[in-house]
Amino acid sequence: MTTPLVAMENVTVRFKGAQTVHAVNGVSLTLEPGKVLGILGESGSGKSVTLKTLLRLLPESRTEIGGKVMVDGKDVLALGPQELSDYRGAVTSMIFQDPALALDPVYTVGEQIAEAIVRHEKLSAKQAMARALELLELVRIPSPERRLKAYPHEMSGGMRQRAMIALALAARPKLLLADEPTTALDATVQIQILLLLRQLQRDLGMGVIFVTHDIGVAVEVSDRLAVMYAGQIVETGTVRELLRDPRHPYTRGLLAANLHGAKKGERLEAIPGAPPPLNEAPSSCSFAPRCKQAQDICRANLPPAVALGEGRLVRCVQAEAALQPA
Amino acid sequence: MSLSLHAEDGLDRGGAGTPLLEARTLTKHFPLGRGAVVRAVDGVDFTVMKGETLGVVGESGCGKSTTARVVMQLIPQDEGQMLFDGEAVGSSALSLKDYRRQAQMVFQDSFASLNPRLTIEDSIAFGPMVHGVPKSGAILRARDLLARVGLDPARFAARYPHELSGGQRQRVNIARALALGPRLVILDEAVSALDKSVEAQVLNLLMDLREEFGLTYIFISHDLNVVRFISDRVMVMYLGEVVEIGPVEELYDDPRHPYTKALLSAMPSMDPDNRTMEAPLAGDPPNPINPPEGCRFHPRCPQAQTICSKAKPALTPVGAGQRLAACHMEIPGSGHSRAPALEDAA
Repeated sequence: MTTPLVAMENVTVRFKGAQTVHAVNGVSLTLEPGKVLGILGESGSGKSVTLKTLLRLLPESRTEIGGKVMVDGKDVLALGPQELSDYRGAVTSMIFQDPALALDPVYTVGEQIAEAIVRHEKLSAKQAMARALELLELVRIPSPERRLKAYPHEMSGGMRQRAMIALALAARPKLLLADEPTTALDATVQIQILLLLRQLQRDLGMGVIFVTHDIGVAVEVSDRLAVMYAGQIVETGTVRELLRDPRHPYTRGLLAANLHGAKKGERLEAIPGAPPPLNEAPSSCSFAPRCKQAQDICRANLPPAVALGEGRLVRCVQAEAALQPA
Repeated sequence: MSLSLHAEDGLDRGGAGTPLLEARTLTKHFPLGRGAVVRAVDGVDFTVMKGETLGVVGESGCGKSTTARVVMQLIPQDEGQMLFDGEAVGSSALSLKDYRRQAQMVFQDSFASLNPRLTIEDSIAFGPMVHGVPKSGAILRARDLLARVGLDPARFAARYPHELSGGQRQRVNIARALALGPRLVILDEAVSALDKSVEAQVLNLLMDLREEFGLTYIFISHDLNVVRFISDRVMVMYLGEVVEIGPVEELYDDPRHPYTKALLSAMPSMDPDNRTMEAPLAGDPPNPINPPEGCRFHPRCPQAQTICSKAKPALTPVGAGQRLAACHMEIPGSGHSRAPALEDAA
């Protein structure tokens, strides 16, 4: 068995302030090298916080992180400042939803990519710029020589997203974290970026964790899926398993809400209510207040994480019951 | 105070089955100086029948939101005309004030579209008060509407917008749009900012309200699944023009314009065994400043021929007859090698 590229064990993230926010409540996940994990969830589900924990991007003074985070054999939570700085970009790198915010407006795209390369490799400025050009070619930006000297505002949204991907790949990371990278894009551009990411991932053999609220997008790029709700992973499995045989009531509700194959004019099977406030650590099933199948036990205890097979987990008391033939 | 249907209040003039809104060659250009002009909406024609939902799809810069704003008369058109239930909007028969009472809009950003210093019941009552309803009556009606959109007035009426979730705020915006008893409601990406599980709730609400109040919707969205679900007919826009319009199932099952085809095949497949292998189009949607000559889609169109860069294709009937597409491949004798021959047209 290979050592996993990412292993998170019982990770909790709390934000302190006037009110403590329990953003992530016991997340465990693993990612094999060269695989793509999609994390699916709605706003406030903790999917982006989980991702930022892997890169230690959360404000240290206000954040309390518990549990264990191992990436490529390194204990991410124990890294010192210099080690952290070497780790970011070279081992793990990240792309964001809004490239206009993630890129520096006062430097050209080429300068920004070259800066990241020189930070991690002993190269001259000229060599770094040549490698930046290769990277722009890799992400298939048309007329890359010209774009190397362009400022971010001179590029279209799709092009900027490609430039940001090139920047993220500058130091040849083993793990790429993608936080809703196609959400702000138009439909015909979104599919181009998804296909590009899929191909780069295969060609470069990177592990990718792809966070999105859009099931369609997650299915398009992922090998495995993890569904998050109120800071917990409620179901994991391969894309096929989750799509064909969703076991958690929340996963089922999300699939129904996607409207894929919904009958016109019929009312949607909407999940009632809204996600819970996160000012307390959960002591019972967080989804129970919105769940049609909820029983007394769901409101009394934390649901068990039921293993239904290799890498297939469902956090619901009825996950096993659903296994029994009727 | 009850919410009356329009059949009883004498507002419905043409009767059922007639157009509620007819837009004729609507045009809106934004000059940028130095001769550059954003041709945001460029000669758009469409009709919305009473009680139907017209979906409008297209990518950023295609003019769908500008069209909505012109239809709402938030910005005046440069050219073109709108008929509302047979009367010209802004004429002596239908003043702008009367029209605005009958046409309302819900925006994408639920927070920006509510006054942060008004309680939600005051926000909902504001419009009717402007139109002469006494405050006590307007507040009563606001509470009635809050209950109707699924927000308990006893708990919510006195709250401020920041005390509500996004889904709740969008329900308030819908209630406010209904406060004047409109007949046409324009929903401009009204569910796009909501989480999927909340979006489904709001879509259910919109369908219920449509039935209960006999509303007509113009539903603008970039989400093709949602548009398919809620619309009766769909209008596809590209760079300020209508490229295809027709009944929803026909258009989704058999798109005729190459852009409609590309847009539909850019939808994620939702099937891990049958993933999308090729992007239907390269590059980003072009800028609506100085759009291409002829068919505006021709520089990105895989089937473009010489004629496409020379002549602008007119909307032509295709399919079962209820549908129009603006493509030279559908115009008999257009000069495109895949166009039907002229005699077939008869």
